[in-house]
Amino acid sequence: MRRRAVLAGCACAGFLARSNAFGQAPSTWAMPPRFAPPELASDEGGLWAVMDREENRLKRSAFLLKDQALSEYLAALVCRLAGTHCPDIRVYVMRTPWFNASMAPNGMVQIWSGLLLRLDNEAQLAAILAHELAHYISRHSLERLRDARSRAAFATLMLPFGLLGAIGQLAAMAGKFAFTREQERDADRIGIELMAGAGYDPRQAAEIWTQLLAEVKAGEDAGGDPARSSVLFATHPEPAEREADLRERASAIAGTRELALGADEYQRIVRPLRRSMLEDELRRRRSGESIHLLQRLITKSGDERGELRYFLAEVHRQRGSDNDVQRALELYDAATQSGNPPPELFRGRALLRWQQGDRVVAVADFQRYLELSPQANDADLIRSYLKGN
Amino acid sequence: MRLVVLMLCVAVAGGCVQMAKVGPGDVVIRDRMSAKLESPWNRYESPHAGRAEIWTIDGLSLDRVDFYAGIAQGETLVEPKAGQDKALPRFRAKMEPQEIVEMVDASIALDGSVFRLDRLAPSRFADGDGFRFEFVHVRKVDELTLRGIGYGTVRDDRLYLVLFRAPRLYYFARNVAQFEEVARSVRIVR
Repeated sequence: MRRRAVLAGCACAGFLARSNAFGQAPSTWAMPPRFAPPELASDEGGLWAVMDREENRLKRSAFLLKDQALSEYLAALVCRLAGTHCPDIRVYVMRTPWFNASMAPNGMVQIWSGLLLRLDNEAQLAAILAHELAHYISRHSLERLRDARSRAAFATLMLPFGLLGAIGQLAAMAGKFAFTREQERDADRIGIELMAGAGYDPRQAAEIWTQLLAEVKAGEDAGGDPARSSVLFATHPEPAEREADLRERASAIAGTRELALGADEYQRIVRPLRRSMLEDELRRRRSGESIHLLQRLITKSGDERGELRYFLAEVHRQRGSDNDVQRALELYDAATQSGNPPPELFRGRALLRWQQGDRVVAVADFQRYLELSPQANDADLIRSYLKGN
Repeated sequence: MRLVVLMLCVAVAGGCVQMAKVGPGDVVIRDRMSAKLESPWNRYESPHAGRAEIWTIDGLSLDRVDFYAGIAQGETLVEPKAGQDKALPRFRAKMEPQEIVEMVDASIALDGSVFRLDRLAPSRFADGDGFRFEFVHVRKVDELTLRGIGYGTVRDDRLYLVLFRAPRLYYFARNVAQFEEVARSVRIVR
């Protein structure tokens, strides 16, 4: 798993590394034909063999998010973007509540669930995949492998050391096998061309950065440390510059064409998984970032704000300052008024009321929670509260 | 020079994995808890042990008990690393058992591991009222599925918590009875 984590890390280099300015000439790039598998005895063949072993482990990973509709959706999207390379690309979604994506030279793409939670539409997902595909199609890993410094770094990564474990440490390692600035620029440039070629609005690539920057800023304002708040920002110090470059180039490519966002298609697939993703998001305990994210999702969501308001209330309840308690209570109240409030909402509100000494209201909420969720894992404890009153 | 290197190596290695036998008999844990042991355990002694005193029977990766002996208001369950401070959940004396379990969950999830609560119920602990919970922990580092049991109570605004974890296959069943025996014997030292 450590090695796998490292491989995921080198990844992020992909979507995330900084870049300076774009070159001037767009659309001079042409998709190369499908690659034949490399000779096993070659350096590239060796690299592929390592990645194939990693992929076999990944397929059995306890952290692999298995959802057939999502898998089929991702495979279809990759094929829209990758053209003849489609049969050589496999996408795996890992249950990890952070924003990251990666591409291995053998065509194995990893996407973390925290990334899916943060995207708005299919065009943004296409932007991520297209950028990673650009690394594959341009064989950037091979270039890095043939670079002596990188080879040394790669050898270091393969040692069985105990460094990894915390996600922040993963970020530090990601930089060691990162793609170069030029490769990142290439991948950005090719990525938005692939997107636009498949009919997606390339400006959404820049929009992802805008959203992430705002979220990290909100985390910093709340006292968080940006270097640890996101795997990508730890290794990529100038995302604002990259966002501006992407936006400029994408606007030139998009022109006045009608290009797709695919918000409904994206939500149809990701929405059923959102609840468990939000539960994992809460576990990060990055309250400033989570509050910003949830507020953004609430603004953009239609009729299902109850669940989002519940999670926002939970963030405030867990943070637990005096202001947070009041805010959480308001949000729980609002969530009961909107569609689809989860049963746990009544438990959360009851806990706060209970602690405030408002036992009558708390008991009513505990009872409601048990009615809605009689098999809850804490039902015995809740019943003990009710008995005591 | 060689001698210095050798001594350094010994010091580092010694500091990393030193175990001391505890029990049988009465044992004091971090000055604030005690337990009566029928059979001996191994205590992990390291500067990296952190907030908890850690015991094991067969080795830390195969079974472990973490004793949190009197966590005070505002303290965390894990030792914060640089920059991590704000993200860690902190104990509040008013916390209900659900919130204490949420703290355990968030602390375990720090390295990307998965925590799942199976059951939380009132229980006697440390000669008074407390709670008991059962959970699953999928360890990120090796993806091993561990089963766990926790006991906790808040007395005089301090949290007393004991967590047992072992691989679901074999080691949990092998050592859980010994853990329950320890948990039953825990008392708070005043």
